[in-house]
Amino acid sequence: MVEGFFSTRYYRKKPKVFLTIVQNFESMSIEIETLLLFAIAGVAVLSSLAVLLTRDNFYASMFMSATLIMVAGVYALFNLQPVFVLIVFIFVGAIGIVTVALAATYRFAPERQISVLWALPVIITAFILAFSVHISNLAPLEKIQFALPKFMTPEYLLLILSLTALIILLLLSVLKMGIEKEVRKS
Amino acid sequence: MQGIELAIIYVTSFSILLVGYLTAISSKDLIRLLIALELMFGAVFMSLIPLFSAISDAAFGIAIITIFTSSGELLVLIAAIVTMDMQRKNIYTSSITLGGDKL
Repeated sequence: MVEGFFSTRYYRKKPKVFLTIVQNFESMSIEIETLLLFAIAGVAVLSSLAVLLTRDNFYASMFMSATLIMVAGVYALFNLQPVFVLIVFIFVGAIGIVTVALAATYRFAPERQISVLWALPVIITAFILAFSVHISNLAPLEKIQFALPKFMTPEYLLLILSLTALIILLLLSVLKMGIEKEVRKS
Repeated sequence: MQGIELAIIYVTSFSILLVGYLTAISSKDLIRLLIALELMFGAVFMSLIPLFSAISDAAFGIAIITIFTSSGELLVLIAAIVTMDMQRKNIYTSSITLGGDKL
């Protein structure tokens, strides 16, 4: 009876339909990942171009932070969360904020920021790079296999701790210099 | 990691690097130079991603050292900018004055 139940036309077709849907969904998910990567990369390039085109230092630093967050977002897309956290918290969180604060202090608009003379060799280099990437058949690499517990060794933790202490010391010295400058001004 | 994903990562990295170079070359003050350097470091971080699919363990160590080293370099530059502003009262790079001469 069970055999007869599954041998009806409807239930024979149903797994095939499900299989097709699952296959389509799998292929679609890969495409969605690639599309998401393309979108993040596009936003990163556009915001970096905005850094070049804007005249105000403050807006330039904000666009630079956006570019770096997009770069960190690519790491998150590939399931590399520790590097994402390091970039967002240390690079954007510490250095980016100090840069934004400095840019807000020294906020002026120069008459022209882009040098046309230098833009030409840059565009030529970009074309050569794009052409070389186009003609080279990039071989697909393996899927990223990343396991954080491997890095929970005392040596790595000591390295991260010492580097964090160094960054905090540098940040404190920069802050001290800024406070001294404000005191001198007042 | 597919070939197209690799191409997207490398092209984006090169584009951000070139924009960073152009910003650094055409910068007229030290703040813009600092922003350009940060952009270039961002491009370097992006080009490290394919390394994770080949040697993920070593790539994580390289990423940590790169992030902390670049942060340290940028903090030194920030300190230099503050010092320069205290001594020269401006941070323009379009003109250099030394001993009464101006270039």
